[in-house]
Amino acid sequence: MAGESGSGLTGAAAPEEAAAPAALAATVTGRGRGGEPAGGGPREARARRLRRGLRPWLLLAPALLVLAVLLFWPLVRVLQLSLQDYGLREINTGESNYIGLGNYREILGDSFLWTKVLPNTVVFALACVLLTVAFGTLVALLLQRLGRVWRTICSSVIMMAWAMPAVTGTYVWIWVFDPLDGVVSGGLDALGLIDPEQTNWFTDRWAFYAIAALNVVHHGFPFVAVTVYAALLTIPRELPEAALMDGANAWQRFWRITVPVIRPVFLVVTILSTIWDFKVFAQVYLMPGGAGSNEDVLNLGVWSYIQSFSRNEYGMGSAIAVLLTLLLLGITVLYIRLLSRERDEL
Amino acid sequence: MLHTPMGRPPLRRARRLVAGAAAVLSLGALTACGDDGGDGGDSLQLWIMEGTNPDAEPYVESLKEAFEEQTGATLDVQFIQWADAHDKITTAMAGDELPDVAEIGTTWAPEFGAAGALTDLSETIESEGLADDLVPALREAATVDGAVYGMPWYAGTRSLMYRKDIFEEHGLQAPTTWDELRDVALQLKELEPDMIPFPVIGGGEYSVDAFIWGAGGQIAEQDGDQWHSTINSPEAVEGIDFYTSLATEDDVSVAAASTWLETDQLESFQNGQSAMVINGNWTVNTLLADDPSWADKIGVVPIPGPEGGFSPSFVGGSLLGEFNSDQPDLAWDLIELMSTGDFASQWAESSGYFPGQQSLLDAVVAENDPLVAPFAQQMSEAGASVPVTEAYGTIQGDQVVTRMVQEILSGDASVQEAADEAAASMDETFGG
Repeated sequence: MAGESGSGLTGAAAPEEAAAPAALAATVTGRGRGGEPAGGGPREARARRLRRGLRPWLLLAPALLVLAVLLFWPLVRVLQLSLQDYGLREINTGESNYIGLGNYREILGDSFLWTKVLPNTVVFALACVLLTVAFGTLVALLLQRLGRVWRTICSSVIMMAWAMPAVTGTYVWIWVFDPLDGVVSGGLDALGLIDPEQTNWFTDRWAFYAIAALNVVHHGFPFVAVTVYAALLTIPRELPEAALMDGANAWQRFWRITVPVIRPVFLVVTILSTIWDFKVFAQVYLMPGGAGSNEDVLNLGVWSYIQSFSRNEYGMGSAIAVLLTLLLLGITVLYIRLLSRERDEL
Repeated sequence: MLHTPMGRPPLRRARRLVAGAAAVLSLGALTACGDDGGDGGDSLQLWIMEGTNPDAEPYVESLKEAFEEQTGATLDVQFIQWADAHDKITTAMAGDELPDVAEIGTTWAPEFGAAGALTDLSETIESEGLADDLVPALREAATVDGAVYGMPWYAGTRSLMYRKDIFEEHGLQAPTTWDELRDVALQLKELEPDMIPFPVIGGGEYSVDAFIWGAGGQIAEQDGDQWHSTINSPEAVEGIDFYTSLATEDDVSVAAASTWLETDQLESFQNGQSAMVINGNWTVNTLLADDPSWADKIGVVPIPGPEGGFSPSFVGGSLLGEFNSDQPDLAWDLIELMSTGDFASQWAESSGYFPGQQSLLDAVVAENDPLVAPFAQQMSEAGASVPVTEAYGTIQGDQVVTRMVQEILSGDASVQEAADEAAASMDETFGG
């Protein structure tokens, strides 16, 4: 039916159609610029304009409806739940039990959040993002230098790391670092560095997160490597060649040419890695002690899950989830502003 | 994307998209109300756990037949996984799609009962004359403030399992007191240096519970309506101290065990690493199924008490709960059919668990199978249940007890400090 209304129009309708989604995208990135196309005459023209304005929305409606059902409604429910003391009893009766900002007050007033959960989440995520982007970039630079055969081999291997589901990967890393029978402890034992019977890496906060970081970086770097490699291919060959003629070494060429040219790509992979690394769940939850029995290693995601589904305090769990979302939104907005400033400069 | 190179919208594709989206949406609507069919008419819905009983299929078939013969109603059986059963029931509760009858873990009865989702069966059980013939620990576990939120179906308990072949080889005796347990573990450490004499695990609550109860302590006590934790009482601390000192002082465990779950402990026994473990009776079947020669290698004794006697062990298992069925009589017929008589003993036997009826359990003890009777004895003479209150479900979800053990094992806190912390954490949940 959306098509019907437009069937009388000619190709001239196309630019306006594009305008609405573009305007939508522009407002999302904070750079609105849309304007009304100049209308012709009296009523008929206005009606036509209305129809034209409506049409993209009609076309978007199914997708928006699906999004509303699948994304927007759950979001609203989480917000609602975060303002309630909501347990099994409420689930059974379907009643609401609003307590205002009580959950938030309790969480923010808990020193546990500030000394354990938040540092675990933030420091871990920052370290992982840094390592993922750095390692991914190094691999991309390597791929660029390799011949075709080795490049194919390397990228296939990288893809395998990427394709491995997080749960499987986590179990592999647990197995690698098993304190008693693992490969690592076996090796260190053979070297006489540790006594496996006295070792348990999973109980120590730093060792626990070091293993989790290995897991997350291993799972995350292929995306960075592939994306940065693709970006490297877009650098005009004249630039590094000219620099080479001027006597710039590899280090200078990387920082003076490669980085500035593909900076937007770096920003994008950093944003995405940040979002992913802030909300790691399976990689921590599945590790020994990670599901709550070791309070030292809880992060925001696992804490929210435990509050909701182990303690049946769905309101509290939702409030933690909302805080995590706000944190991520804040970081994303920061990045996007950086990105758009970048684009303006170009 | 919606533009052809000509700049005209591709009508057919747009229509297809709309139609596709409509189809997706209506599909969602269909599945959302698809489950209601089972509740109407003379049909009853039953959820039971998958994997407990290897011969579940034929059992269910004969149950369906017997039920239809007895009542004329059909039975719709769904298997669900233990691991996500709790979440699944909660979700069904939220979506108003609960079955008529479901198998529930004993520790869930207080939570779901307090939430108002389960029917109180106490009067029916009483009037059917079944009340006096239930295994006490199980009945206790299902009873909250006089209401009984489920009929005991089957249960199991943990006892001390040891490597009989190795004990015989070195002329060792199974321990009957705590001192003997320590001595035999220390001897094994000398005699079998490659083995772990007795893993002290930090990822499972029920091993340490046995020692708390054995020393005469309690996890929590009820005073009127109010529960308060007693896990930091001198008796309880003595039990925790004995259990953890086996690792921290006597060194008969390994550091890795401080994050082991019960399954890891079983695995270490199964691959020949551990010499003694506290394991459930159902694991015997697992071991035998893996390798029948285990029959000659396993010895079982009830968990010893400090000066002889037994340390009580948690009796866990399943209840059959009625989720406010609109056909309560039919639901009870089903529950009675499953939890008493032939169907109950048949299920228990093929699943490797014990029936919830005392008379059926006594029959198992009388058979005197060396791999079964010690467990059955533990269950009927020294069985216990964790505090029966909704709040304890929350405390278990929070892993308060395992966290306490892990802190002690990793040296982060002394026994008393960790116990005080656990008690404070529990009292906060109890609202004391």
